[in-house]
Amino acid sequence: MLDQPLTEFLERGLAIHIGTRNEALRPNGCRVTAVRVEDQGRNLVAFLPKAADAAVIADLKSNGQAAISFARPTDDRAVQVKGEFLSMRDATADEEKFVLGQWQALLTELDMIGLAALTSTSTWLMWPCVAVKIRVTAVFSQTPGPEAGAVLS
Amino acid sequence: MSLGLEQMTPCFQGLLPSMFFTCAKDGTPNAAFLSHVDYVDATHVALSFQFFNKSRRNVAENPQAMIRVIDPDTNQGYMMRLKFERSETSGPLFDRMFLRIEAIASYAGLKGIFKLKAADIYLVESIELVPEEVGRQERWSPPGRRHLDPVFTMKALQELSGRMNSAGTLNELLESILSGIKEYFGFSHSMILLAGEKPNTLITIASRGYPQGGVGSEVQFGEGVIGVVAEAQQPIRISSLVRGMLFALAAKKRAEERGWRPQEQVKLPGLENPASQLGVPLVVRGELIGVLCIESKTPYRFHEDDKNTIEMLGASLAIAIQNMQLKEAREEPSAVPAAPRPAGNGKTRHGKHELTYYASDEVVMLDGEYLIRSLPARILWRLLQTHKREGRAEFTNRELRLDKTLGLPDFKDNLETRLLLLRRRLDEKSHDIRIVPVGRGRFALDIHCAIELVEK
Repeated sequence: MLDQPLTEFLERGLAIHIGTRNEALRPNGCRVTAVRVEDQGRNLVAFLPKAADAAVIADLKSNGQAAISFARPTDDRAVQVKGEFLSMRDATADEEKFVLGQWQALLTELDMIGLAALTSTSTWLMWPCVAVKIRVTAVFSQTPGPEAGAVLS
Repeated sequence: MSLGLEQMTPCFQGLLPSMFFTCAKDGTPNAAFLSHVDYVDATHVALSFQFFNKSRRNVAENPQAMIRVIDPDTNQGYMMRLKFERSETSGPLFDRMFLRIEAIASYAGLKGIFKLKAADIYLVESIELVPEEVGRQERWSPPGRRHLDPVFTMKALQELSGRMNSAGTLNELLESILSGIKEYFGFSHSMILLAGEKPNTLITIASRGYPQGGVGSEVQFGEGVIGVVAEAQQPIRISSLVRGMLFALAAKKRAEERGWRPQEQVKLPGLENPASQLGVPLVVRGELIGVLCIESKTPYRFHEDDKNTIEMLGASLAIAIQNMQLKEAREEPSAVPAAPRPAGNGKTRHGKHELTYYASDEVVMLDGEYLIRSLPARILWRLLQTHKREGRAEFTNRELRLDKTLGLPDFKDNLETRLLLLRRRLDEKSHDIRIVPVGRGRFALDIHCAIELVEK
């Protein structure tokens, strides 16, 4: 589902959020620190801050539906991945460098459009994380404009 | 019921993108970035509907939604539980959102494609802190209330007013306004544009803080923040022009990929890449006198709390400028020059300059470079020819007003404003040819070079 160019885009350090919903179809969501595409693009691992809203994990465990939105701040290129929850675990110490490396890349992007001072994340709790494995079911373009919503994969 | 939305106005400046979570009737969640969330009242927010998308289809089937915003003052994230209520396609809220988007669209050459279709109104059911986006605490005192630091305070307005009152001429008045804006409000980049000779145009009459003054540059109604302010006669405040432009340019790229040809991007006077812009219409009794534009390289420079005082500022500047224009137009020329005659008039020569007048375009070029157009160009050409023919260097406003060849309108000719524009333009472009006031209603052509006049 996720080819090499798309994988490289998603893993480059983007603004990422995951959306879920509960049994009453009430949406929930939280920020995602980083992602890793696995299994030849069939699955991805989303690293969610442990501090994030517990409702997101509860939703994933109960109904498994997920929507992960990715955007590059410097040009607003955006992609949404729909998927189904497969498993979760605590992110390991070995993964910290990879995860925070993506986060730092996002901050560099924000710096390029003059937002670094405003998005200083010294107080944001982006690590430690839980690693949530998602099976990719669909990919859509979300770049603003008349083609937003077009199926990419 | 008040949820504290009033204290969250910094979140609604569009400085940091917001996230919008919805869910389809079949249970599929959706997460989408938003460029802007607008504050409506203590219990409602509005989202701009520009393109049909999944989020909008979802709320039509399931009105439950969640939005996440960030306070740029503290970095604290908030999540709001929303319920879709209605869409508005007219009214003050729609107009406000429409104007902001229209201004950005005109910068990007996207008018027509990047436009507001509707303002979608949501009830805010609850607000919670985002636990992973913990804010800095130093801007909060007491907890939950933001320090207000409006820029346009009444004290600053009073001080500016005092400075304006001491101005004796339109030139001094414009200078006092722009210097006061820097001194009392802290903005280094500002300009005043007044109604141009052609309908629906504005022309920069005074500016401050730019490497090239830009006096004489024109803005059409509807172009950029300034042109949209003029067209709508409403103030526009954009706190994050960079983000707005990125969003617009992303849409433009997609539209171009579909074969849509955008309009040419408009080059407007001002900073190359302003982060914040404020346009204030100068209106007297429903008539647009001009526009004050203040810019900053810093995002989020204009606070929500400044809105009312900005409108008062516009009204007082408009009256002051119009009164000065009327006063100068009524003044009889002084009997003798009040100021000593300038020392130039060709006696101290600094080389030679060629001035070319293109009659069909009504443009004067100086050494092959554009100098000025329209009425100020006709006036300059008339002065230069008289000077060459008669050796005369002193002139009165009255004789220009009586000269039918200049084509001044019979009513509200704005001659003094056009003369000031010409004077400022010459100051910017040439040190050897100047116009110098020498008394009430009198001025002199001050020439420190040999000149060659060419008419084409």
